[in-house]
Amino acid sequence: MKSLIFLFAVLFAIALQGQTPERKRAQPSPWERSVVTLEISRKQYDYYQPWTRKTGRAQKTGMYVGDHQILTTADELFDRTLVRLQKGGRGRWWLGEVSWIDYYANLALVTTTDEDFWRDLNPAKLGGSVPEDGTLQILRWHDGNLENRRAEFTQFTVREGQLAAVNQPVLEADSDIQNAGWGEIITANSHAVGILSAQEGRMCTAIPATFVQNILEARKQGQFHGLGYFHFYWQGSQNPASLARLKLTGEPRGVIVSSVPERTDGCEQVIHTQDVILNIDGFDLDIQGDYVDPEYGNLMLESLATRNKWAGDDLKVQIWRDGKLTNIVYRLPKYEYSVSLVPSATYDQEPEYLILGGLVFQPLTDSYLQSWGTDWRRRSPFRLNYYRNDPPAKDRPALVLMSQVLPDAYNIGYQEQRCLVVDKVNGKHISRLAELREALDKPVNGFHVIELVQSDSLRRIVIAAGDSEKEATSRILKRYGIDEPYHFAPKVN
Amino acid sequence: MLWLSVCQAADPERSVIQIFTFAQQPVWDAPWRFDAVRRMGGSGFVIKGKRIMTNAHVVSWGRQIIVRRYQDPRPYVAEVEYVGHDCDLAVLSVQDSHFFENLDPLELGELPKVRSGVVTYGYPAGGEEISYTRGVVSRIELEAYAHTGNRRLLSCQTDAAINPGNSGGPVIQDDRVVGVAFQGMAGLENAGFFIPTPVIEHFLKDVEDKHYDGFPFAGLRVTPLQNPAYRSLLKLPENDLGARVDGMLPIPSTEKALKLDDVLLKIGDFPVASDGTILYRGNRVSSALAFQSVQAGENLPLEIWRDGQRTNISMLVSAYDGDRAAGYQYDTLPRYLVYGGLVFTPLSLDYLRTLGRNTPEISIGEMYYEMYYRNFEEPAKTRPEPIVLASVLADSVNANLRIRGRALLDQINGIRIEKLEDVVRAFETGTNEFDQLEFLPHHSFETLERAEVSKANSRILKTYGIANDRRL
Repeated sequence: MKSLIFLFAVLFAIALQGQTPERKRAQPSPWERSVVTLEISRKQYDYYQPWTRKTGRAQKTGMYVGDHQILTTADELFDRTLVRLQKGGRGRWWLGEVSWIDYYANLALVTTTDEDFWRDLNPAKLGGSVPEDGTLQILRWHDGNLENRRAEFTQFTVREGQLAAVNQPVLEADSDIQNAGWGEIITANSHAVGILSAQEGRMCTAIPATFVQNILEARKQGQFHGLGYFHFYWQGSQNPASLARLKLTGEPRGVIVSSVPERTDGCEQVIHTQDVILNIDGFDLDIQGDYVDPEYGNLMLESLATRNKWAGDDLKVQIWRDGKLTNIVYRLPKYEYSVSLVPSATYDQEPEYLILGGLVFQPLTDSYLQSWGTDWRRRSPFRLNYYRNDPPAKDRPALVLMSQVLPDAYNIGYQEQRCLVVDKVNGKHISRLAELREALDKPVNGFHVIELVQSDSLRRIVIAAGDSEKEATSRILKRYGIDEPYHFAPKVN
Repeated sequence: MLWLSVCQAADPERSVIQIFTFAQQPVWDAPWRFDAVRRMGGSGFVIKGKRIMTNAHVVSWGRQIIVRRYQDPRPYVAEVEYVGHDCDLAVLSVQDSHFFENLDPLELGELPKVRSGVVTYGYPAGGEEISYTRGVVSRIELEAYAHTGNRRLLSCQTDAAINPGNSGGPVIQDDRVVGVAFQGMAGLENAGFFIPTPVIEHFLKDVEDKHYDGFPFAGLRVTPLQNPAYRSLLKLPENDLGARVDGMLPIPSTEKALKLDDVLLKIGDFPVASDGTILYRGNRVSSALAFQSVQAGENLPLEIWRDGQRTNISMLVSAYDGDRAAGYQYDTLPRYLVYGGLVFTPLSLDYLRTLGRNTPEISIGEMYYEMYYRNFEEPAKTRPEPIVLASVLADSVNANLRIRGRALLDQINGIRIEKLEDVVRAFETGTNEFDQLEFLPHHSFETLERAEVSKANSRILKTYGIANDRRL
């Protein structure tokens, strides 16, 4: 009994020791008045059943940059239904609205008309440089506290954007922060040096603050018309024989253009295959295609399309062509999702579809392919995925798919057909859903004749037109719980 | 004592043969080399004419084939007399005539009925002695034969266990062989497959002239014609007969007889149902089987619906190997050329299997498209034998090349590469100081100095132990 009492006493003493004395609150960080939380409610679409929609909610980080604007990444702001803002990591939420968004650059500005929100907020200082020891801090509100995680600078490099396959500079850092990549602020020396846009394992990818500043400044001046890009394929000139064949003597330098697709913006393609590009916008290119960026160090030349130059801007390019030096001016085309035959995104737009007697037609988009899940590049049908490598052509700017068949007596015989690309309907070439709608107005001898792209799959479908089709469509919509037989995106001029 | 044990054995296991094949496959991305020798176990059985029947895959790429009788430890050397890779069957002979002493050939039976019982005999993994497994025939239909991967022939599914080593063994019903065990299917439990007697008999009839031609292959994509609207458009009677020719491979005998959108009403004696099937000995199977019911080189009467009326035609059926690269290949060593350390070889399924996960997605996609889609979608641009730069054997002459292999060749010195001979011609007829090679899909290129390559060729072959710079 004595020993038992002693044991309790020891446990009590240990318990008392375990109680921490009231922690003295550290001096509030000045960042607490700049970092805010955004909550976004948005529609989520199931592209395999494009008539359905769910809702989702996400939280992310933004920072006050002055002029009643919160800067954040554009990610998760698409298809939004409600945006709310919170400062100080707790308490009241204010209704926000997106004042500017660019999905290609993955940037957005959010504001609110409620003056109360802006009270006590201090604009963050963007820019600055990465300290020599590479130590950075990542900030966000977490459980009411400003989480401050250490990160170690890895490199500046060039990567495709998070929401678009357009190359742009990024800052990479190593950190043990979890679930980041949602607009968290990377700081050093009282400056925001970047905004986190992605995380894979410990590697965090951020949009460099100076890149953001340049875009915001250009926007203010009315000079930002979207991100530009180089519309040609090139390869390094590490093989001296290639330069010798092109009669370029001296120190190996520059990159060689291997392929030049047709420009779709009406501009002349001034770059030719087998041109050796030596200098862009005053920057010499080495044999790997890198140049020395004053801010970021060695970067791939693709970054020069977004280095304070925007879509529609002219770049001076020095090339070696036909054995002599030539200077040309290259007008940067605008990067848009439609530069690919299969658009990589369709933000802020409900999925398009058309149901004809149970046959479901949709545009072929990355969003549709993504309905195969996270590993969609491997799991989605090979042929559909392979269209992503093709450029749009004048006679085929986009693709329409017969994605599936909702079984009914009317479409019997076709129930198992799916994922077929449409070539012609009733004799008319089809690239857009709107064209399909027009073609359906002109059936052939009482039938709709749907020709599919010649491949290893079914080549033709014939179904009855007229009243039986209308009755079937109406019956099928009712049976499958679908409100509308179609949805078309607003026409863009 | 040994003789006693043989005498005591009950039929038909005495005629079931254990087969060991010491096989060596070529390395498809280094085509002058071979993989290490592997010992593969299989089964077989004695048939008429002092021969052994087994699966083609049991003896493929065999350097030596050893056969053993039931409970007899003596090894005998066997040789492949005939092999049909499309039907995964082979016939072996044994030089030592003592081998067949007291061994009775097994008789072939009929196509078994679904739900009837069968017993598989063989020497599967997991032990040394003969094994028997009992099951029922679960299903009879056309199935992809995994040995080549691109042919579908009649097959029986059974719930009798068929494991590695069972391959080539007889499946027996009422003391007669009703099939040859040959494959399982990943993801299916209690499901093995055997090659039924119609296929075996077709193969044996084919080799009666001492040459194997192969199963006829029409190369048709036949699609159901069940939608009333489509039938009405074609003015077809509402009798549930007829399926439409939706696609066809460029096989001369097929193209001569049939057109796209012809409706097949009858193939030989088999009426074609609107779902594209025929009724074959009580089993509803794909109409493709009807083309396999005769031997290559024979004429098959067809009843078709063309331009709104019934027409009778005759179609010469033939075996087809124009798509051999799209299936697994045997017997013929891969073709190649080594030039300046660059290894060129034809694109094939066997080559694609050598590509690891690190191969760029775009390269795999391009090769896959070239092999399986281009001929359907862009027949005019189809190359008879697409060539890949398989690898680069490192040497100072190619040290600066950025492309190190796994790339599909487009042209060399302006010559479009349609087959391996074009590569040889492009290099041998080049007159410039440089050879320029272009690759798909984005015309990335590499340049070689011809004079330097000329000096380096023999050095590279010597360094890498390659006896010949080419196999054409």
